[in-house]
Amino acid sequence: MDFVVSQILTGLSLSSILLLVALGLAIIYGVTGVINLAHGEFVMLGAYCAWLLQTELGWSLIPSLAVVFVAIAALGWLIEVAVIRHLYDRPLDTILATWGLGVMTQQIVRLTAGGELRYVQMPPSLSGSVRILGATDSAYRLFVLGVALGLFVLTWCIYRYTSFGLKLRAITQNRAIASSFGINSARAYRLTFAYGAGIAGLAGALISPLKSVSPEMGTTYVVDAFMVVVLGGVQSLVGTLASSAVLGEASGLLAYYSNDTIAKALVLIAIVIIIRFRPQGLFALRVRA
Amino acid sequence: MSGKVSRQILLYGVVCLAILLVPLLVNDAYLLNKYAHYLIFGMLAVALSLSWGYAGILNLGQAMTFGIGSYCMAMFLKLKTVPIHTGSDGLPDFMVWNNVTELPWIWVPFHSMPVALLAGILVPALLAALLGWFMFGGRIAGVYAAIITLAAMVVVNLIIIDQQSYTGGFNGITDLAQFDVFGLTFDAYSASTYYLIATCLTVTLFLALAVSRSKTGLILQAVRDQEERVRFFGYDVALYKTFVFALSAAIAGLAGMLYTIVMEFASPTFLGVPLSLSIVIWVAVGGRQSLIGAMLGALFVTGVQGALSESEAFLETWTLVMGGLFVLIVLFMPKGLAGAFEALARRFPKTERTVGAHHATEQPSKSRPHLGGAL
Repeated sequence: MDFVVSQILTGLSLSSILLLVALGLAIIYGVTGVINLAHGEFVMLGAYCAWLLQTELGWSLIPSLAVVFVAIAALGWLIEVAVIRHLYDRPLDTILATWGLGVMTQQIVRLTAGGELRYVQMPPSLSGSVRILGATDSAYRLFVLGVALGLFVLTWCIYRYTSFGLKLRAITQNRAIASSFGINSARAYRLTFAYGAGIAGLAGALISPLKSVSPEMGTTYVVDAFMVVVLGGVQSLVGTLASSAVLGEASGLLAYYSNDTIAKALVLIAIVIIIRFRPQGLFALRVRA
Repeated sequence: MSGKVSRQILLYGVVCLAILLVPLLVNDAYLLNKYAHYLIFGMLAVALSLSWGYAGILNLGQAMTFGIGSYCMAMFLKLKTVPIHTGSDGLPDFMVWNNVTELPWIWVPFHSMPVALLAGILVPALLAALLGWFMFGGRIAGVYAAIITLAAMVVVNLIIIDQQSYTGGFNGITDLAQFDVFGLTFDAYSASTYYLIATCLTVTLFLALAVSRSKTGLILQAVRDQEERVRFFGYDVALYKTFVFALSAAIAGLAGMLYTIVMEFASPTFLGVPLSLSIVIWVAVGGRQSLIGAMLGALFVTGVQGALSESEAFLETWTLVMGGLFVLIVLFMPKGLAGAFEALARRFPKTERTVGAHHATEQPSKSRPHLGGAL
């Protein structure tokens, strides 16, 4: 029983990180159709922001989250204005441009902050552990899980219940007709991109106490996040939630029973097969035209 | 039109001749080895230009087929090493360290040179054909095809790293014999190796040119521009795409084999994401829709990188500059430097002929790529 619970908790912790990273990517991809390969670099920048605030100003992690969100969202906004908005009708080129941006970001961080590993301290109030049904889990991991779910609910509510969300849904269905009804789709795209980037930054800051911070850390996350989005279905936020839960638990189990490398290869092969036979994802009902 | 073709052949011929003449001017073994590296990257760029520029298949995993070719050559050269390097019973050293007692079946055919050389070209080609059939048969195109090629490469890379006792794992296959054929030995630091690679590059370039000018090449370009329409005309689009994908893989495999000769080892980094990204950058800079442009792009970018690599700080900044340049080219020059030259060449004779320059300047802007879109 203890083992089952702790295995589930390990999986949930992996799932919450996946959800955090994939949420921003899913929003951007779902609304604008841009595959943002620089997403991992937004995550990395978020982690570096948290590290910088902690080492230079002595801030604890939780208050710095707000600053991180605003900073990375502003960066996302700038990138959309400077690069992405010119490429909406060239989807293949957005892959290339965001890849190039990712390389630049990594290199800038490496040149300014250095290539060595950095560490961020957990908030002291959350560094203890909690007992759940006989198994122990770190309070911080539960906190991350809570924040991930909170962000998900917030995003879902924006999408469902605000007039901005209504406009977003209209644009997703048909950009041309939405524009002709007076919806400013360029502005909506820009805000979406900034919001997605901000969430990625939050993800990076939240992950930073759990993993080491390095310029290359984003690369692994973007692949994982992309798998979550593909598996979940391009337009389905609930799909993103479900697939991060499935993938998190599955990787937790696979890592327990076999070695990491083969588990990763198997998951990738499964993703390739899923793209081939269900490009709309496992949980999506409708397909973007 | 035929004048244009002969001019093109002349241009390709002159460039290849210039490449072949380099050893007459350079007598430094170290430099020749370095230049040989660049030429191999040029071959890779030609391979990607065929599939990306001519058929619209953005292969983000081009390094996969390159790496497989390189491992085929490394396996052959490893088995040829003198017994002192190979442990008991002629086993490669890393197998002995991993407690492998007899040669795995997959290694056995690599005792023979013809088999190894064929494998270096055919295994990548067949693998690409299989992947192509899997993707294009299901009408997977564009972004999704790009992601599948990337994922496929990562899978092969992970398997090679994981199967340490058969592949040497992270360390790759090292301590290789020198490649020799018909009594000629190809030392990595010699003019003969340079000539071998320059010849292969020339053959590849002209083969690719022939394919691109053939009927198949025209159909591929039509597929790139309007896939649905070509399908409605009754062409088997998947077959054409699979063919060019496999051809591009075969070229990359050949380049991989040559790379093992020049590097004197094979390593999992040859199938890495960074190399794949670099290939895409070279081709984008040179011009994806021009074979020779893509090749010269590779020579230019790797050449500058090589020249700057003497200083660590320069190299770091160069990666940054490269990323920026790449983004700018994607944004403003989708046809790369070759496209810019073509536009210039097209503009000048016209302004000479027609005095009403307004019409002449209008023409090139109309043929700007991508602005048409699918409205």
